[in-house]
Amino acid sequence: MLSQQIINGLMLGAIYMLVAVAFTLAIGVLNFLNFSLPGLFMLGGMLAFGFLKLGWPFFLAAGGALFVAALVSLLVERLAYRRMREGDAEVPLVSSLGFLVLLENLVLIRYGSDQQAFPALFADMNVRVGGLVIGIAQMVSLAISLGLVAWLSWFLRATNAGRRIRTVAENRETALLMGINIERLVPQLFVGSALLAALAGLLFAVNYQQVSPFMGEGIGFKAVAAMIIGGMGSIWGAVIGGLLIGLAEVLSISLIGADVVNITVYGLLLVILIVRPQGLIGRPPAREKL
Amino acid sequence: MALLDVSALQVQYGRVTALSGVDLRVGEGEVVTVLGANGAGKSTLLRAILGAVPVRAGGITFDGVDLTRQPPHARIKAGVVLVPEGRRILISLSVEENLLLGAHMRTDSRAIRAEIDAIYQRFPNLGERRHMLASCLSGGEQQMLAIGRAMLAKPRLMMLDEPSLGLSPLFVSKLFDLIRELNRGGLSVLLVEQNTGKALGVAHHATVLELGRVVMAGDPKALAADPRLQEAYLGEGTPAHH
Ligand SMILES: Nc1ncnc2c1ncn2[C@@H]1O[C@H](COP(=O)(O)OP(=O)(O)O)[C@@H](O)[C@H]1O
Ligand SMILES: [Mg+2]
Repeated sequence: MLSQQIINGLMLGAIYMLVAVAFTLAIGVLNFLNFSLPGLFMLGGMLAFGFLKLGWPFFLAAGGALFVAALVSLLVERLAYRRMREGDAEVPLVSSLGFLVLLENLVLIRYGSDQQAFPALFADMNVRVGGLVIGIAQMVSLAISLGLVAWLSWFLRATNAGRRIRTVAENRETALLMGINIERLVPQLFVGSALLAALAGLLFAVNYQQVSPFMGEGIGFKAVAAMIIGGMGSIWGAVIGGLLIGLAEVLSISLIGADVVNITVYGLLLVILIVRPQGLIGRPPAREKL
Repeated sequence: MALLDVSALQVQYGRVTALSGVDLRVGEGEVVTVLGANGAGKSTLLRAILGAVPVRAGGITFDGVDLTRQPPHARIKAGVVLVPEGRRILISLSVEENLLLGAHMRTDSRAIRAEIDAIYQRFPNLGERRHMLASCLSGGEQQMLAIGRAMLAKPRLMMLDEPSLGLSPLFVSKLFDLIRELNRGGLSVLLVEQNTGKALGVAHHATVLELGRVVMAGDPKALAADPRLQEAYLGEGTPAHH
């Protein structure tokens, strides 16, 4: 049954991975630890739940949830991030945390604080491969998350827009001199990272069939841990860190017990930070970014 | 009508006045050099022409179009490009990605490819290292890369900010050969230099800045013989009156 647990761990890891990549875009390019991302993760799940309850078809509910998350992210850019340019670096960090609390409480007012059941989309549809049971939802989610991250990595490497983003990540002043329209790029990055986080929340809801106003918090912390384990500012670091934490979590639940999950995950973080402070595939600062 | 027309340009950094009423013209196909001591405002002038620092008063016209309030990307699209002080190569990008970055606003990928290949032909060292991080290049090669990157924006006016700084004598003469060659191909050049002799040798027209003002302007040969140039360059002359 170990291989079954590995599949389950990868699934959970893929969700951490998406959120970790969202954090990585914000930190790596904008130098902004965007604490509103766990809130956008939650919006992805909760709003899809709410829209489904209104009787919307799934794809409309999912699209609607992603759309709202993107709009909220643009508000975070306007109201929290833009202030950083003028004042202290801590201000946007705290105000993005304020956005998280605000979003959680707005959703709580509308839907209550209890955990809610998210409808099963692919009820009882499984694929059996040599003793392994893989749910359709699980398979589709894994394929979507890995495919999306692979596409993002290609996009950053091989397109003009990707090179512009990496230039801003390395040096904003040089980016300006190269004629990169930073005023337009920054909101686009906020939308991109919001879509990643909200999609992760949606996939979480579909796979674990539960949502709550506070579903983003634990995931958010683990995604930040994943980003640090992998190496800050590197997309593939976030991928490896996310999958590793998912695996560690699922394996420690099944092998040791549910009580030790946080000890395993954050213990792993501590050990890696002690052994390799720059993270698993982190490079020395000011080298290759993303 | 001049290609670039800068009139009565004023730039301030907070309470520091960096430029107080600078006039400058670059005609089509001309090389104009701007000389002056450290802190005279040369870099500020180039950055203001690119739109990277706000202009307090005065105007910048390029090819008859008023660019004074345009952002840098609009000016680069119009045909003005800057090879910045210190080169500003992107060290997290490969050599080729640095060149492609110069063309990031263009969509004619065939022509871009051909232009990049021509640069590799001209500078084989860049071609050999095209997939390596640009940080592996020597200072001279990085300067050629910075100029190549600027060329890929398809400029009509190239501004260079102290491009010979820190280069070996061999690369300095390669650099001035390249500037001449680009100019013969029709490119207009606005050159800021510490290497007064070389700059006056290549220029059709020269301007000397001191503390944010134009103190001398005219024929480079006449300026080269003028003792006041030495004074302005050492930053100890009293501002001459026009
Ligand atoms: N970013 C800046 N902030 C404040 N003052 C500046 C800045 N950049 C340049 N200055 C000042 O403006 C003046 C002109 O600088 P600069 O244009 O760099 O001169 P140059 O290139 O001729 O050496 C100097 O007094 C310099 O100290
Ligand atoms: Mg300078």
